Formats: sequence, structure tokens, C-alpha cells
Amino acid sequence: MLALNNLIQNEMMKLLAKKRLVIIGIIVGILVLMFTYAQFKQVEEQQKKLGTVDWRAALQQQIIDTQNRLSSNRMLDEWREQLEVGLKQQQYYLDNDINPSEPGAATFTRMFLENAIDLFIPLLIMIVASDLVSSENSQGTIKLLLTRPVKRWKILMSKYVTLLLSVSIIVAMTALLSYLLSGLVFGYQGWAAPVITGFELNGSDVDVSQVRLVEQWKFLMMDLGLVWLVAVVIGTLSFMLSVLVRSTPAGMGIMLAALISGAILNNMVSSWESAKYFFMVNLKLTTYISGSAPPIEGMTLLSSVITLLVWWLLALIVSFTAFTRKDVY
Amino acid sequence: MNKPKVLVTTIVSACVGLFFLFCLGWAILDHYGKKTSDLGGKEAPPINKDLPNDFTVVALGDSLTRGTGDESGKGYVGLVLEDLESEYNHKPLFHNLGINGQVSKELVQQVKQTEVRRQIKAADVILLTIGGNDLFQKGQTLIDYDSQVITESQKEYVENLDEIFKNINQVNDKATIFLLGLYNPFIGLDEDLDTNRIVRDWNNETAEVVADYKNAIFVPTFDLFQLSVKDYLYSDNFHPNKKGYRLIADRVAPLIKWEDETQ
Repeated sequence: MLALNNLIQNEMMKLLAKKRLVIIGIIVGILVLMFTYAQFKQVEEQQKKLGTVDWRAALQQQIIDTQNRLSSNRMLDEWREQLEVGLKQQQYYLDNDINPSEPGAATFTRMFLENAIDLFIPLLIMIVASDLVSSENSQGTIKLLLTRPVKRWKILMSKYVTLLLSVSIIVAMTALLSYLLSGLVFGYQGWAAPVITGFELNGSDVDVSQVRLVEQWKFLMMDLGLVWLVAVVIGTLSFMLSVLVRSTPAGMGIMLAALISGAILNNMVSSWESAKYFFMVNLKLTTYISGSAPPIEGMTLLSSVITLLVWWLLALIVSFTAFTRKDVY
Repeated sequence: MNKPKVLVTTIVSACVGLFFLFCLGWAILDHYGKKTSDLGGKEAPPINKDLPNDFTVVALGDSLTRGTGDESGKGYVGLVLEDLESEYNHKPLFHNLGINGQVSKELVQQVKQTEVRRQIKAADVILLTIGGNDLFQKGQTLIDYDSQVITESQKEYVENLDEIFKNINQVNDKATIFLLGLYNPFIGLDEDLDTNRIVRDWNNETAEVVADYKNAIFVPTFDLFQLSVKDYLYSDNFHPNKKGYRLIADRVAPLIKWEDETQ
């Protein structure tokens, strides 16, 4: 146990010395500032167009726009379904006099996390995860590490624990930075704003019998938990690749291809049902609690979480087996 | 890199990680924990005229309100607003609630919605186009021409229109309502002028309903398109084009009286 602890400390030191986390912080900061400005502009534009700051008028206009898009008969069925679901929810918010995007940093953070969960956060995680092992290979330090009188699995374990720790830091940092920076423009309020959760989807039907209000801070915490799970799974998969593939760029490339294909697949898999076993179409976990339609009918929060956990477990088994049996030369 | 700093980072991130794990469990439990709705039973929130007190135009109706066929996307409503703005040097507040393909039955539902009622309440002028889809049903009326069916849909439409006016007047009987009559897009295809008779009859019935409400005005458009219908229709031969919308707007805009409430 003591040996493992020391190894983790050692890995953490390497991680901090590489300054990767600082770089990730800068990337997040720049992006958040960009999105904050974009949203600020959008709100300004909308107010100019409607001549009022009233959110109800803006939401009503969004509903009318969606209705007009739906009335066009040249629309794919799956898009129509998603739009109808969104429409019913918007109408529900409006009928209950609840602003779905209460202005403030808390809302911005929630929206940012919900949009970042399937691509942006995984990319950040890859920066750290994809060279944890392979960099030792390319620098040749792996030999020094393995000649120590410590079991190999312990060495890999220390690296994996470091990965989990840095994943947690990254998720926390992303949330914190987007809150702090967007608050400069939108103000730091919005924690107690009500958010609606519990929409049950059945095709394009929205069942509101279980709908309930949650304070935004609770919703944000649940979002964070889901984001963290996605980050851990993606981190573990990149970690596996960094064990299997000796070159870091190759490992990153594979992971990147998988993630981007997931983003593309999400828009067109609804007719290919077995695609739901891919990890990359299961990443948008937050949509289940906010209630938008999943990419494939029949996917639920539980099925997605289990799919991700199976991939996670397989990746772990493969990593440890490969690492303990690998010839190092 | 000093050791305490590393240790602190390790401990902090471990705590953060455990916290996230807890959040994850909470999210899943909360999602599957069956709770009954604490909404739904809530009555509709009161409609206050908390929208700004400026001159407000609300446009309701179908694709004509939306501006389908006008490549600039303005439609007659956009053009009327431009005319108002240039005449009074001030931009009116404006809500366009038109939905493509809307029939009178759907508009009855729409004017009952809380937010729509709130906007109607704030309105000084309401522009309305409805009935085109009730009558023409995307050209079906012409293909299987049946006077029985038309009489029935007309009856239904008249009832719906009455209901629409009632609903609007319930929240706001000060606003002037301009209801646009139908034109006949099929006038060029029709040799024995059957459709002309139908549309004329439809417009007459509409005008009768409008006459029951003293704040409502029926604005005919039939004559505008009568002579050179081809020049004023979009390539779908149904909706007006930019020129057609200009004609309609030129007829509506001068009717609108802007009385500034702030003065």
C-alpha cells in the first residue's frame, strides 16, 4: 500500500511538472470567453429584434419558429420527432411560467456542460490520458520504471489513479472556470432557478406526469456527475490505447476518430439500432435528465450508463493484461 | 515541484472525484426514483400586461402572415411594419405568431394559450390572415370539387372565426383587428369561374362575422389579384410573391392609426 501511495505521488508530480492542467485551463478559459461573448451578442440581437427583454416573448417566438419548421413536409422523420419533443417541452415551460434559460452564470455553466459532454470534455481528457503510458515508451523511461522492485500492475495502477484524479480536476476546473468567467457578463446568480426534469419520452410523445421542478444547483450537480462518468470512461479508453499503441499521436488519432464518428453517428443512427452499443453514441448522458430525445429510440439513462461501464471495464482489463505481459525492449 | 503541493493536489482531487461519484449516483437515483409531478395541477399564471407599453403589432394566422413566397422573408406584415416605421420614425413592437398551414381550428387553440393571450393583451393592432388553408386544403378543393364539402368547411370556419374574435376580445377589446380576405390563386386556371364564386362567397361570409365586432375590419384582397394573378404569385402558384405582398401591405398600412400611448 505504501509503495502504491508513493508511486501515485510520483505520477502526480510528473503530471504537474508537465503543466498539462495549466494548458487545459487556458483552453477552457478561452472557449468560455468566446461562448460568453457569443451568447451575449445573441441575447442582445434578440432583444433588438423583439424590442423587449421579456423571455416569454422570446420563447413564444422560438415555439412559433419550430412550428413553422415542422409544417414543412420535407423533413426527416427523426428530426421531426426531436423537434416535436423540444416543442412540447418549450410549451410546457411557457405554460408553467418558468424560464428555461434564466440568465446568469449558473445557467451558462449548465448549458456549457451539457454541450461539452460529448466532444469538448473528452478532448480535454485525451490531452492528459493519451500519453500517460506511451510517453514513457517514447522517452525510454519505461525501462527505468519497470526495473524497480515493484509489481507491474502497481505501476499501471498508480498511473490509472493519477488519471482518475486528473479527470476530476479537469471536470471541476471546467465547471469552475465557466462559472467564474461567464459570471463577469451575466452575473453570478441563478442557483435557485427552477429547472424542469422528469420528462418521459415515448417516440414524439412527451409524458409530463412525472415532471418536477429541481433547483438549478441540484441539476448542475447531477450534470456534473454524468459529465464525470463520461470523462472517466473516455479517459480509460484513451489510457488503454496509450498502453496498446506505442506512439502517442496514433493513440490520440484513434480516439479522436471514434469521438468524431460518434458526433456524426448521433445525427443519423436512429435507423441503425445496434449502434447503441457503441460508447460514442452514449455520451450525451445529460440529455436524459433534461429530457431531449436520445439518438436511438429505446435508449435510456440506465442503458447508456451500463454500456459505458461495460466499455470501461473491458478497457481496464485489456490495459492491465497487456501491460503486465508486454515485452519491453 | 515540492512534495506538499503534490500531496495537497492529490487529496483535493481525490475529494472532488468522490464528490462527482456521489453526484453521479444521485443523478441516476433521482432519474429513476418515481415521484409524482408537483406541477401540472398548477393553474395558469395570470396574464399581466407587463410587456412594454409601446405601440404593439401582433400578427396571427397562416403562411401569409409568415411571409411564405417572399424571398426577403418579410411578407405583408414585414412591409406594413416598414411603412409604419418610415411614417412615424419609430419602430413598433412586433410579434409574429403566424404558422405555415394553420387552419382556423388550430388558431382557435393558439389564441387560448396563455402567452399568446398575454401578447394579444398588449397589442394595439392585430393583423390576421386565416381561412386560406380551410378553403383550399393545398389545392384539394379544386381537384375533388364538391360543393357539399365546401359548404361544410365554410360553416365550420365561420364558427371558428367567431370563436377567435371572441377570444381576442375577451383579453383585449381595444385593439383594432384587421382580417385579410382571401384572393383566388386559381383564377387563371379556372374558365367557368367556379372558384371565383366560391372565394367570393367565402369572403362574404367572413365579412359578415367581422361586422359583428366593432373593433374588427375586413380588408379585401380579392380585387388585388384579379387581373394579373400570375405577376403577383410565387412559383408555387399559391402564395403571393414580393410584389403581391407589397400590394397587400399598401392596402393595410394606411388603415393603421398609430396613437402613441406614451404621449
